[in-house]
Formats: sequence, C-alpha cells, structure tokens
Amino acid sequence: MSEASVIHDIGYQRYTGPRLGRLQVLTAMYVHGLRAAFGFGRSAKAKIFPWMVAGIVLLVAVILAAVRAQAGIVALNYVQFADAMSWLVILFVAIVAPELVSRDMRSGVLPLYFSRPLRAADYVWAKFAALVTGVWLLLGVPQLIMFLGAAFTTKTGMRGVWNEVGDLLPAWAYSVLWAVVFAAIGLLIASLTGKRAFAAGGIVAVFLMTTPVVGVLSILPSTDAQQLSGLASPMTLVAGVGTWLIPASNIGLDLGRFGVVYLIEALALIATCLLLLLARYRKVASL
Amino acid sequence: MQNVSRWYGNVVAVNDITMRLEPGVTGLLGPNGAGKTTVLHMMAGFLNPSKGTVTLDDKPTWRNPEVYRHLGLVNEREAVHGFLTAEEFVVANAKMHKLPDPKAAAARALDLVEMTEAKDRRIGTYSKGMRQRTRVAAALVHNPRVLLLDEPFNGMDPRQRMHMMTLLHSLGERGHTILFSSHILEEVEQVSGTVQVIVAGRLAASGDYREIRRLMTNRPHVFAVQSSDDRRLAVALIAEKSVSGVEIDATGLTVRASDYGSFTRALPRIALGEGIRLRKLLPSDESLESVFSYLLEA
Amino acid sequence: MPVSLIVTDALTKTYGGRVTALSDLTVTVEPGVIGLVGANGAGKSTFIKIMLGLLAPSSGSVRVFDIDPTVNPDQVRARVGYMPEHDSLPPDVSAAEFVTHLGRISGLPRTAARERASEALRHVGLYEERYRQIGGYSTGMKQRVKLAQALVHDPDLLLLDEPTNGLDPAGRDAMLALIHRIGTEFGISVVVCSHLLGEVERICDSLIAIEGGRLLRADRISEMTAASDVLAVEVSEGTDALAEALTKLGLTVAREDRLLLVPLESDAAYDRILQAVADLELPLHRLDQRRHHVAELFATKETADV
Repeated sequence: MSEASVIHDIGYQRYTGPRLGRLQVLTAMYVHGLRAAFGFGRSAKAKIFPWMVAGIVLLVAVILAAVRAQAGIVALNYVQFADAMSWLVILFVAIVAPELVSRDMRSGVLPLYFSRPLRAADYVWAKFAALVTGVWLLLGVPQLIMFLGAAFTTKTGMRGVWNEVGDLLPAWAYSVLWAVVFAAIGLLIASLTGKRAFAAGGIVAVFLMTTPVVGVLSILPSTDAQQLSGLASPMTLVAGVGTWLIPASNIGLDLGRFGVVYLIEALALIATCLLLLLARYRKVASL
Repeated sequence: MQNVSRWYGNVVAVNDITMRLEPGVTGLLGPNGAGKTTVLHMMAGFLNPSKGTVTLDDKPTWRNPEVYRHLGLVNEREAVHGFLTAEEFVVANAKMHKLPDPKAAAARALDLVEMTEAKDRRIGTYSKGMRQRTRVAAALVHNPRVLLLDEPFNGMDPRQRMHMMTLLHSLGERGHTILFSSHILEEVEQVSGTVQVIVAGRLAASGDYREIRRLMTNRPHVFAVQSSDDRRLAVALIAEKSVSGVEIDATGLTVRASDYGSFTRALPRIALGEGIRLRKLLPSDESLESVFSYLLEA
Repeated sequence: MPVSLIVTDALTKTYGGRVTALSDLTVTVEPGVIGLVGANGAGKSTFIKIMLGLLAPSSGSVRVFDIDPTVNPDQVRARVGYMPEHDSLPPDVSAAEFVTHLGRISGLPRTAARERASEALRHVGLYEERYRQIGGYSTGMKQRVKLAQALVHDPDLLLLDEPTNGLDPAGRDAMLALIHRIGTEFGISVVVCSHLLGEVERICDSLIAIEGGRLLRADRISEMTAASDVLAVEVSEGTDALAEALTKLGLTVAREDRLLLVPLESDAAYDRILQAVADLELPLHRLDQRRHHVAELFATKETADV
C-alpha cells in the first residue's frame, strides 16, 4: 500500500507569530550597529580600518602591561592611557560614525526604516548606543588587558588586585565619558552628509581645528584663561573632567577651581549634540 | 546616420547603425543603456562618431556650427536657471542663435508650447511639465527643421504628458522632423507609430511597429476572438491551413495564425459560412510592447 | 461592518503656506488593488507620508485600518509595507541579510525574520542571487528586493511607489504579474502609485486620480473602462473601399487613422460589417467595441498651468 501523493502548499503564508515591541526593535538596531562598527556582516574591506585601530590600541596596552610586568614601571596608568590614545579614538570615530550613519543616508535606506515601527528617536539612540559601546570597547578592553597584566604579576596579592580594580573602574568610567562625548560629536557631524569621506574628514577637521585654540589660550597671560583653555577642544574637555573627577590619575592639567565648569560644558555638549541629532532625524524621517 | 559606431574604450555604445529620419514624429526606443542618448547627441553634433557619418542634408553634424541652425536638442536633464522667467530664457537662446528679432521669435516659440500666459513668471515656480515645455520652446526658437528630445516625458504626470504628446504631434504634422527617445513603450505608442528600436547599441528595427510585427513571419500572430458560438468556430478554424493553434476558455478563443494574410481573409468567410456572429477580433501581440520584446529576443 | 482600508476626510497639506500638496481630499479606499495616479511628486509622497504617520496633515483627517496614523503611527506601520520609488538599498550587503534585518526592525523575532525573509525572497523570484551583494544586482532584481522587504512582516497593505520604474518590458510584465498575484492570491491589498495609466488599467480594480492636490476621480476601473456603443473595425488594406461599402449599407462611418468607427445600434451591425469585409475579401485585423480608457480623465479639462 503506497502513500497518497500530495502537492504541498508553499504558497504565501500569513504570519501569526509574536511581534516584538519598540525596545526589542531598538535593541536589534543597536546590535546591528555595533556589528557594523567592527565590520561584521559585511565585506572583509569593512573590517580593516576598525580592527587596525583596535589592533594598535591593543598593542600599546599589551606593551604597557608587559613593561609593567617585567620592570614594574607604570609608564601610563589607565586614565593616562585613554588620553594617550585620543587620536586613535578620533580616527576610530571618524571611520565608524560615517559607517553607521552616512551610509544609511547615502543608500537611501532611511525610508525603509522609518516606514517601520521605528521612530526617529529610536534610530538615533540605537546608533548612539552602538557607537558609544564601540568606542568604550576600544578603550576598555585594552584597559582590561593592562589590568590583567598587573593583576597577575602583582606582588601584593589580593590587596594589590583590589587596588588595581579600584584604578580600573574609574578608568572605565572615564572611557565611557570619552565614548559618549566623541560619539555624540562624531554622529552629529556624520549625519550631515551621506558621503563617508566628507564625514570622516569633517570629524577629524573639527578636532584638528579646536586643538590650536587650546594651545593659544593656554599661553595667554591670564591664569584663568590658561585654566579654562581646555574647554575649547573636546579632547582637553574630557581630560579636564577626568582630572577633576579622578584626581589620582595625574593627567597633568591645571584646572584651578574650574573643574566643575568642565563637567557642565561636557554635559551640555553631549546634550546639544544629541538634541541636534534627534531634530535632524525627525526632519529626515518626514522627508 | 550611415554605418555609425561609437565606442568609449571597450564599451561600444553604438554599433553600426544606419538610420534615416523623415519629417514627422519618430520614437527612438530601447532599454536603458541601449545607446539612445548617444545617438541623439551624435545627431545633434555634440559627439563625433568613432566610425561612419552623421549628416543633416548631407552635411556632417560634427564640428559644424552651421547645422545648429537646423537642429534643436532637448536634453534629458538640464539645469535651467530658476531665477529667469521663461521669456528671458527663450529670448537668451534666441540671441545665442543670432536671430534678427529675438523677442518675436521667443514669443512665437512660447506660443507654440502654450506657455504664453505663464512666461513672465520665474522658472523656479514652474511645474515639471512647464519647465520641460520651456526647454522645448528654447529648442524651437530658431525654428529648426529637426527637433531631438531625450526622454521628454520623464517624470511628467498624465496631463502634462498628454500636452507634450499633442505638441509633438502637431509639430510633426507641420513638417518638422522629430525624434524622441523613451524606454516607456506606452508613451511611444501614443505619439508615434514610427519607431527606431535600438538594443545594446544595434539598430534592431525601423518603421511602423505594426508593420514590423507583420514582418515577423516566424512568429504566429495571436488573436483574441469572441463570437456567438466559440466552440463551433474553433472547430472550423482549426481546419484552416493558416491557423496553427486554437485555445478556448471562458473569455473566448485565442487563435494563433501562422499566415497573417490568409487568416485575416479567411476568418470573415469562415464565420459567415458557419452562420456565426463575430463579436470581437483583437490582435493580442501587436502592441509596441510585444513587438519590442520579440525584438529583444532576436 | 468590514473596515475600509483607507478613509480620508477633507485631507489637506500645505507646506510653508505656499505649496499645497493635497487639498480637501475625501476618499474611501476599499480592499483590493488600487491605482493612485496623476499625483506626481509632492502630492503622492505627501499622501504616503501622511498614511505612514510621518507627516501630520494641515487639516482634515485620515484613517488607515481605522487607526489614526498621527496618533498611533507604529500600529499603522506594523501593518503596512512600503516600497519606495527611488534607490533605497545598501550596496554591500546581501539581499537575504538585508531583508532579514528589516524583518527584525519590523518586530519579528530573529528566527521568524530569517524564515520570512527567505520566503519573501522566494515569492518575489530571487533565488541564489539573494546571497550575493545587492550592489551587483540589476534594476529588476533591486526592485524585487524592495518588494520583498515590504512583504517580510506580512502587512495587510502594500504601498508601492512606481514599482515598474526602470524595468524593461519583460521586467515590467513580471512585476505587474507579481503585484496582481499579491493582490489576488495572497490576499494583501495593494496601492500602486504609477504614472503609466496602461499598467494601472491592467492590474488595478479601482483607481484614485489626484490632480493639483485635489481628487479628480475615485472609481472602480471597470466603470472607467466601460464599453462604449461604438464599434471599431480595422482592415490591413482597403479601408476606403470598406468605408464606402459600409456607408452604402446605411451605416454611419467615421474614420480615425486606420480605424473605421461604426455606431453599434443593434447586433445586426456586427453581421453587416462582417459581410462587407468578406464580400470585399479584405483582411480583417480588428473588430471590437471601443472601450473607455483611464487616460481620458486627463484629456478632458483644459488647464494652462500644467
């Protein structure tokens, strides 16, 4: 007795499964962004730049860890390390922010996103979170390696490890600050153009142009001016906040009593960039 | 155009085309990238053929400023200064042609495209159709015998297109030679029956597309037939030599005729002979679209 | 009572007080395949954006699936699939990955997104190509990817903006057949924005014609392409002789290019024409009741400001 023959119905099926809410959609967008930042899910070419930068930063961290392990010298502490890597962070942001944001603009994909249950604000938050995470990983993982190097070679046992943890955690927070400030600025600039090269150039230019201003201000005769000079550039701004909040880090900036000003400006800068980003995408979504 | 080819390095844009344009409206047809714009630009004297000759009245169009007196070209994309009014723009063109009375010529051209009322407004305020018509006026201001248009209906809404079609039609009737390119067959069908079909740089066919269809004798003509007794008619038709196939369904008959001439004469005779009333006879594959797709397969 | 698909009431949208994209638009759209014609540029994209809740109307109201998109845009967007007119695809990802990603952004869980993406790509006719990068696709393939992403989350309404843009005739046929299938077999309503009236006549069952932001006409296609009471006859030679013969038989004959137009006063007209053609042994090329065309909508009025 043979089985009856049948033609299976592979026509269009309706979907009756669950539909997830805004949070999951935002998370999906975030994960997508984070993967795109490091070139996953795309061609090999897309992986070169971010991993090259990450590689250099890691290498420096490894060398520092090795030096500390061998010779006991702390060439750079965790916080100073982050500062030292500032230009690499800028390079990373200059490459990744356009990948996250300019690419979508250029390919015209935004209408496909905004015709879905994804608000303009959700889009911005997801991309921002992805870039912040990316930059934080860029700094935080090497810092972790430095920590591990120190922890495994410490001569003072658990107390030594605990000390290191006490140094690492604020440094991680410092890395988060770097990430947030630079991601905000980088995304804002990148969102202004669909051409990745222009965006990258624009980001680097902003940082390049503000640095000399700091230099000029810092040689003015007034001590106030000198102490406030760091406000003019994002890098020194972040360093200033770090100096004020983590005095043990010895970044080497003299802020006088203006530490709190640095913090306020940093927060204002982040808020402004984000608000502008949100406004921009709300406009773009209705275009 | 005589044996014209045009290449860019390894890319052969136009391959050995010989074409003759007569007064009236001709549609230059082909898929995107087939070489239509290249052909138009060579005719307008903007490009030189890599091989062969392009002539107007036996004078070459390349490097021959004289020929611009007889030619007008309306490009597909052209930036028109938004701050000028239509009148200013067309008058400027008239002056460039060194016409004796630029204002009068411009007025005539604008009247031809029905832009007289709006001519004093800035071009920036115009709709797409109006802008297009302004450019046509500018191309017509020196009363050229030949008008070349590249994708003139692009992006126009139905009413604007109809206006443009009527305009081209009337110009053709006045004796101008008009060649317009398009990849939208529906548009071409409505303006002109005469076509030049370009596929991948080669001229696939010229002439009236219905006649072109009849030239395709290796393809049976397909007709839709409705009558008072379809099945009996089907039986009678299949007995006929010129019929290669008959299909019957709820809407009527689909008849394939291997010999167009014999079938079209036989059908009335057969229907009358059987006492069947013929209600509908419609050629199903004579549309420009079918002809075109057959040409593409060649 | 079954819910109408889209209902607008005096919908108006002006930009900056000068440009009126939509003006006092009142229309009820029933499920099916609907053509949206005439509105070019501003009007069309404004209408789509308002439906998706991306723009608020200046005045008037709109409801999609009986939901107000200005209040609950997410609910509307979850049930609508949008296929934009212009290039919208990133060149450096594969279709499979891209459509899956968009499925997740529509709220589908990961496995469901993957599966439905795969199915959507199959339904639009993309097979092995789907694993290659989109940058290498032909226009036809890209249009299909855009359609697949509109289908992936199983919408109840598809908004297709110029779906046959840039396609060659074979591609257009395929796309139109696909849209027709979606509208009939899949049970999804489709709004097709097109400037090609022939296409619209072919696959749509109703039509909304907008002009200058205002509603020109909203009707079933069958109403607009009704048969008139005129018969068109075409013979590939001997048109004059036939015209004479028919006139002698007492029929009023009008000439239009190659066609002879004869009023259809009674069925006897068919027989008389056939007899005349057979007597003259002329090749009969066409015999048909003239039908109205959607294009006639745009031919009647005279507007200077077009």
